[in-house]
Amino acid sequence: MFIKNKRSKTWPRLVLPLALLTLGGCSRSGLFLLEPEGLISQTFYHYFMLDVGIMLLIIIPTVVLTIWAMWRYRKGGNGSYHPQWSHSYAIEAVVWGIPLLTVGVLSYLSVKAIYDVNPYNPGVIAKAQQAAGGDPVEVDVIATDWRWLFIYPQQHIASVDELVVPVGTPVRFRLTSTSVVNDFIIPQLVGMIDVMPGMRTKQALVADKAGTYVGYSADYSGAGLSWMHFQTKAVSPAQFEQWVQSAQQSPQHLSYAGFNRFARPYIAVGGDQQIFGQVQPDLFDQVVGEVMRGKVWPTPMAMTENMVNYMKKQRAEQKAGDY
Amino acid sequence: MLVHLQGPWNPLLGRLTLQQIPYENPILLGTFIFAAILGVIVLGATTRYGKWGYVWREWLTTVDHKKIGVMYCLVGLVMLFRGFIDALMIRTQQAIAIGPNSPGALGAVHGYLTPFHVGQIYTAHGLIMVVFAATPLLVGIMNIIVPLQIGARDMAYPYLNALGLWLTTAGGALVMLSLFVGNFAHGGWYGFVPYFELPYSPGVGVDYWMWAFQLSVLGTTMGSINLIATIVKMRAPGMTWMRMPIFTWASLSTNLIALTSFPVLMVALGLLGMDRYLGTHFYTAGMGGNLMLYNDLFWIWGHPEVYFLILPAFGMMSEIIPTFSEKTLFGYATMVIASFAIGGVSWGVWLHHFFTMAAAPNVNSFYSITTMLVGIPTGVKVFNWIFTMYRGRVRYELPMLWALLALFLLLVGGMTGMMNAFASNDYMWHNGLFVVAHFHMMVLLIAASVFGAVEYWFPKVFGFKLEQKWGKWFFWFMVLGTGWVFVPMFFLGMAGMTRRLDYIPYTQWAPYLHITLVGMAFYVVAVLFFVAHLYVSLRDREKNRVGADAWGTSRNLEWMTHSPVPAYNFAFIPHVNARDEWAWRKENGIAELHAGDYEDIHMPKNTGIPLFLGLLSMGLAFALVWRIWWLALLCLVLMVALIIIRSFDRDTDTTIPAREVERVERAARDGSSGSVPPAGVLGDAVIATSTVRSGSGGIGGNTTSPRPSWAPRNR
Amino acid sequence: MSASTTQKIDPNRLTLWERHYPGHDMISTRTFGFWLYMLTDAMVYAALFASLGVLSHAVNLAGGPPPSAIINPVYAYGETITLFLSVLAYGYSMVALKSGSRGGVVGGMFVSMLLGVVFLAIAATDMGHLFAQGVVPETSGFLSIFFTILIYHALHIVVGVVWMLVMIAQIARDGFSANVVYRLINLRLFWHFQAVIWVFVFTFVYLQGMVA
Ligand code: HEM
Ligand SMILES: [Cu+2]
Ligand SMILES: [Cu+2]
Repeated sequence: MFIKNKRSKTWPRLVLPLALLTLGGCSRSGLFLLEPEGLISQTFYHYFMLDVGIMLLIIIPTVVLTIWAMWRYRKGGNGSYHPQWSHSYAIEAVVWGIPLLTVGVLSYLSVKAIYDVNPYNPGVIAKAQQAAGGDPVEVDVIATDWRWLFIYPQQHIASVDELVVPVGTPVRFRLTSTSVVNDFIIPQLVGMIDVMPGMRTKQALVADKAGTYVGYSADYSGAGLSWMHFQTKAVSPAQFEQWVQSAQQSPQHLSYAGFNRFARPYIAVGGDQQIFGQVQPDLFDQVVGEVMRGKVWPTPMAMTENMVNYMKKQRAEQKAGDY
Repeated sequence: MLVHLQGPWNPLLGRLTLQQIPYENPILLGTFIFAAILGVIVLGATTRYGKWGYVWREWLTTVDHKKIGVMYCLVGLVMLFRGFIDALMIRTQQAIAIGPNSPGALGAVHGYLTPFHVGQIYTAHGLIMVVFAATPLLVGIMNIIVPLQIGARDMAYPYLNALGLWLTTAGGALVMLSLFVGNFAHGGWYGFVPYFELPYSPGVGVDYWMWAFQLSVLGTTMGSINLIATIVKMRAPGMTWMRMPIFTWASLSTNLIALTSFPVLMVALGLLGMDRYLGTHFYTAGMGGNLMLYNDLFWIWGHPEVYFLILPAFGMMSEIIPTFSEKTLFGYATMVIASFAIGGVSWGVWLHHFFTMAAAPNVNSFYSITTMLVGIPTGVKVFNWIFTMYRGRVRYELPMLWALLALFLLLVGGMTGMMNAFASNDYMWHNGLFVVAHFHMMVLLIAASVFGAVEYWFPKVFGFKLEQKWGKWFFWFMVLGTGWVFVPMFFLGMAGMTRRLDYIPYTQWAPYLHITLVGMAFYVVAVLFFVAHLYVSLRDREKNRVGADAWGTSRNLEWMTHSPVPAYNFAFIPHVNARDEWAWRKENGIAELHAGDYEDIHMPKNTGIPLFLGLLSMGLAFALVWRIWWLALLCLVLMVALIIIRSFDRDTDTTIPAREVERVERAARDGSSGSVPPAGVLGDAVIATSTVRSGSGGIGGNTTSPRPSWAPRNR
Repeated sequence: MSASTTQKIDPNRLTLWERHYPGHDMISTRTFGFWLYMLTDAMVYAALFASLGVLSHAVNLAGGPPPSAIINPVYAYGETITLFLSVLAYGYSMVALKSGSRGGVVGGMFVSMLLGVVFLAIAATDMGHLFAQGVVPETSGFLSIFFTILIYHALHIVVGVVWMLVMIAQIARDGFSANVVYRLINLRLFWHFQAVIWVFVFTFVYLQGMVA
């Protein structure tokens, strides 16, 4: 229901960036949270605007009151002076009442919003799913140090640092990590969910509009974090089918043994994307299981000291290998 | 060896090798040379002017709560400066390293700092600002002011007080040491597991972080025990609970938070230490560990900690605003209730630091609501401050300016905090710059209150006021810097920019990042003004001498004794008859000091043991960082031995004879005595010149303004 | 709320300054402070027990032995008895303090201390056996917290024993000076607290472990 309501988001979308554009002079604002293109981020946006509105309703009068008191009762001004006046039940009732009321309203909205967008079972996605019928697209996400591997278990393909999803279809994710905790986000489509080693978490999204959206890790995971971003391509269902078929032609295959090499620390400075035409079934579950049994992909001490040399070396090594 | 270490280890020096000294890094080399020159100058000057005896007697071995407080503040200021330099480096790196075509230098692909180096900088920045700058400054001010406000001559545990100081200092020194020997943690001030486990953080950085943190935990916990015992047990006669000054209330509530939350941090860090040193599996991903446990334990401390920092700041605002509004604080009882409400609720909100860790929606809802509840008492406080100014006569002197800045920052910080608490928002920007901007509003609020409090109480401690001209320049440039740094940062938050990036892939964000750099330039200028402020104040100190009641409209007990305060605080313990006792006495025209026959005063005696314990604890931490087991054992044994030896010491007290008290009091009152009493905050030298300038009125009479403005008059 | 000016005050009938103010009561202040310290220690234990709760699921065994396989009720029982007898002996020593009997205090404390050492010996034997069988903290998340709680508690007992030694020496030297008395009272609190904590250890580590 909130998807339709595009009107409410027009003004800040124009005003906020414009205010700054005069300072910056950059064509596209890059303010991703204010340009939602997916069901979840739209819903967030709707509640966000409500939240800001209600807060400003309280904060602005408070600021005005403060400035008024500061001006009116300045020394030498013409405010009356009552040095002993320090208590009034009426005022006390109001100063407790207003915050209480605000917090009450905000709490109600917050709970409603949480049920709508929480990653495990977002209410808005469940509704969209019901409306759309059909099967959601499933994606298994494995975060390594420091790349994203997207496995499409239904299609038996996998893609590195590039996520392709069909527009208008719910996409359901299962996520895990090989080594440390990451946080999966595509700001214009969906909010965050922690990606934890030895555990699986879930997330879901629906993209509204075809386009390319950035995604990245929001949790600090080490030296390669800044390069640990990926592209999300939202394409029409037909294009998605095409992409799957061409991906399945890729000669590169991924088994656990190959993954074991793939998961060694690697800083994706070049943003190098890869496609695997065939993926061992249950690779995701096997990774979770191995990590639970104590498997680690340690960070070599060397890479913390001379990054440039390390990255040259890793490129040479990993480019050569076939997984 | 129970764990697998990368790199060499030998029994004599542990992991320490020559390669661990980063002499090939020009930035660190420069810092080292700077620090070395500064050190040589300070040590050289101390020797040259033969001040070692003075430093040792009056400062290093002191158990006087005021001097300890001053030293806490000094430590805090030094660390604040270090943290500021860190911030400067982060901001410049982020302003350079934008987009794939940005230049790189010094081994970095983009910018001039490698990811590993940036990581250390912001980790140090966060840790330093929270536990080695803000905490010491606040603890220092509480240390000085609380005993004065409750009419006590000292703290409940003077010796423990010194120990707390030296442990905290040892922690700070350890962080500094990590610049030149080895490296620091590089994953964020609050630590991540399993990132901080050995496989992913193989170096000594995390160990430095952990032990420095632990030392500050010990120091702060001791401090909180001390302050609570002092407030509960040592109030002057007549000071009932509801007559207690509001800053003392704030200190009580904040230290209750510290008392109960810091032990949890100790466990959180301790278990991480066991993982790193003994190979246990508390936070490992596999082998039956639970990495989410760390987040819970850490933030069960972490959230109360932020209120531990803010409540004293609120207390300072509640002292400054009435003084400069020349009026009683509005809603005293409400303020007290609100402080404790904030303290109480702060225990039930920690999960909002990881809303995104896949908790069920009902759990997130619960913590979202509890977090918002904090907004209620906070809002009440804001209104009470406004209504304190209402019907007052507001004077815009420096302390008041800072307090008002704090008030406005609280409005912004509180609003954005409430927005974070709205969990569906937090899903989008957790770990992002919106959060960073939120808590910087809060932390700058604390800084503003601290600056206000320093301006406010400085004359009490040192006997002269800080000058106002440069101080105002400093103030306004801080305001400018804050606006220019943090307004764009809120926009970057809307951009979805996350924290801790050493390279920014999206060039659209460049303008915002460049604007923040302009803000940093304002901050740099502000720091220069601050130095000028201090310098001019010190130079003109004779001009700015004040008597007991430096501001003329202050309200509490601390203004009833000389400025600077003598070692024994009060020649006679005041009997408290009202809330805001000093204001009450002034209103009733009974504001003169007792001049009767002085009595012997019993005081604790100086001791060097806390200093040695601090040094040994630093040795112990250093040895543990580098895994030099023999040294660790040696330090530990020596510490235990020292503690036991001290417990056998019967000669721990001293008596200031009545004659001496009389001499000091008289000198303070008429300033005619050229002799140098050994009391006073600066040891020798200050009391003798602390005169009540306009003469006749004695200590309680005319002090700064010719017409005492405390007299209630209707215009 | 604050005093009003209309209400006239007679300065001659007011107490404004205290003469001969004795200051605070040192013993009561120091014991109060020690209660505060005990509260921090209680928080440490609370955090440890919470961690035990978190790390007590099947997944936390990571293939290692479950608690029921490693807990020896005989040792646990023996430790309980010795610790409680020790506290009893300390209680006796405090009764003797009331009557000012040096011999009674030192005697009671000596017995208490010996029992503390016995406790440590039993604990060491128990753990030694487990270590010998390869049941070590590194085995699993559960065993990590299991041993941590036991060892942390045992460390307190070590501190208590050393403290008692020191107190015996101080009583011998100083008699019952204010310093000695407040330390004796604090030590009592400390020692009783360890027994209380042991009840929790017994319940949550041993009993619950055996049932699970
Ligand atoms: C009205 C009161 C406040 C509310 C509702 C509030 C809410 C929040 C929330 C929900 C977060 C978590 C955001 C995230 O990590 O995604 C947060 C973070 C934070 N808050 Fe507040 N807050 C309040 C007051 C304060 C105060 C008084 C301080 C400090 C003195 C403070 C300091 C911080 C800090 C340091 C963090 C981030 C810690 C980190 O991630 O490094 N907050 N706040
Ligand atoms: Cu998890
Ligand atoms: Cu918090």
